[in-house]
Amino acid sequence: MPSTQSPPISGAAIDPPSLRPPIEDAVVERVAPAQLRARLEALRADGYAMLLDLGAVDYLQREPRFDVVYHLLRLAPRAASVAEIGTPARVRVLCGVAPGEHLPSVMDLWKSADWAEREVYDLFGIEFDGHADLRRIQMPDDWEGHPLRKDYPMRGPDRDRSPRPSFANKSNVVAGTPPSGRTFEALQEEVKRARES
Amino acid sequence: MVLSMGPQHPSTHGVLQIVLEIDSENVVKADPEIGYLHTGIEKTAEGLFWTQAQTVIERMDYLAPSSNALCYTLGVEKLLGITDRIPPRAQIIRVLAMELTRIASHCVWLGTHGIDLGAISVFFYCFDLRENVLDLQEASGGARMHPNYMRVGGVNGDLPQGYVEKLDALIEKFPGRMRELRGLLQANPIFQDRTIDVGVLTPDEAVQWGVTGPSLRASGIAYDVRKAFPYTGYETYDFETPTRTEGDAYARFLVRLDEMEESMRIIAQARKRLDTPGPVMIDDSKVALPPKETIALSMEALIHHFKLISEGFRVPPGDVYQSIESPRGELGYYIVSNGENRPYRIRTRPPSLYNLQALKGIAPGNFIADLVVMIGSLDPVFGEVDR
Repeated sequence: MPSTQSPPISGAAIDPPSLRPPIEDAVVERVAPAQLRARLEALRADGYAMLLDLGAVDYLQREPRFDVVYHLLRLAPRAASVAEIGTPARVRVLCGVAPGEHLPSVMDLWKSADWAEREVYDLFGIEFDGHADLRRIQMPDDWEGHPLRKDYPMRGPDRDRSPRPSFANKSNVVAGTPPSGRTFEALQEEVKRARES
Repeated sequence: MVLSMGPQHPSTHGVLQIVLEIDSENVVKADPEIGYLHTGIEKTAEGLFWTQAQTVIERMDYLAPSSNALCYTLGVEKLLGITDRIPPRAQIIRVLAMELTRIASHCVWLGTHGIDLGAISVFFYCFDLRENVLDLQEASGGARMHPNYMRVGGVNGDLPQGYVEKLDALIEKFPGRMRELRGLLQANPIFQDRTIDVGVLTPDEAVQWGVTGPSLRASGIAYDVRKAFPYTGYETYDFETPTRTEGDAYARFLVRLDEMEESMRIIAQARKRLDTPGPVMIDDSKVALPPKETIALSMEALIHHFKLISEGFRVPPGDVYQSIESPRGELGYYIVSNGENRPYRIRTRPPSLYNLQALKGIAPGNFIADLVVMIGSLDPVFGEVDR
């Protein structure tokens, strides 16, 4: 569907940032998707206990198209004073990803990767293998397209502006049997039995 | 039984939905559902000039707007390579704005946290104090909620007449008001019953979940971006980083109260430095608008003015990660420029998102009523979580 406004894609594709000298004093690394998991595991073992952030960038005209960006912080996972922490090391790991290519999830290394990976999946369409619950997080569940991609129109796809049924899907009460097996009916039954006895 | 709490629940501080799996009154599993306030700020910013983008970015954390704006401008300044040329007075005003906004933000947190626990009057005391800070924000930036006072290269104009007097009055009033706030809650047995040992985050868990800011420091890890990666001159101020080791909701409450007092210490130091006059904007007409009075006299000034207004400035290609200590924790922007007059990509590291995520770890095994305390003590702002 053509949109009312084209996305502002200006200028040529830019160089991969890792090819330019870093502006700040953070360490910048670039790894291939195949080595990503091993490299991150090594960093985790090296004391990078906090995954500060996990995001993505879409370089539309570049090969590979996407960059997934990890920011890690070396922090001891125990109580520590300001002096002990000092200036912790920070590292940025960049990983080029082609459309359709999957990345390994790091949810088991850092719990904080959970929502961050869901967000990258939601807004860029990059899938993470091994993520326990990879579904949309910001956009409604039935949304089509990935809004932060550069070829996604700035104002969204052309569509009927009537109230969207998708909001109704984020319903207030979730039906079904919970994993614990204790449904509302079962509870009512229990209450009834307790009253009768 | 699966129960949905929110997104219209009063204690969820905005639009948070939590899908709760409960066993009578006990939470078995809590799954926060976010995205109700998603407005695509990162996408919108890609279509705006570097200066205009700051306006929407300021709307992320609407309780501490200046912190978003400052973090973003610091990142852009790094890309432009002008970090060392920001006038000292502008840096002092930035620190002042940051700490004032921290106090204002903590006032909203404390007031609403009190209301969640049934302590209504705390709210009025907090909002009275916040009102003084908002008055100062209005005087300096022109708007109460979103002053948009930060600029790439400095701040937008010097402090107005009468500002310093108002600030002095606030510095005078603050200790008494803090005593009252502490008196209302700190030794209150009901408040202590509701918060002590509730929502305990161990240091290990806090780091695992990426929790930062007061919530991390309440778990014993004194990681403060102002100390670890100083920016805009924080290394020249004398202040402590309040830390607790308990990691429960009461510890987070105490850390934030202590932090408000430390903020006031910084403000008092910045106030002393304000006596030295000086420029508040970088002297570089490629980035900063030329003074209004020169426009009628100088052709270059007129050209620069026209160029900056009509097409903005260009930023050299590159990427940068800039972080600051916002009232909620480490706020970071990963900014990518491709040499154009608009940002190519701005990725936010929202502290609230990571802090709120920890709810999944601390909620199970507690009562639903305690869940309200935990949400309040993590202090999420949904403008920032959902962006």
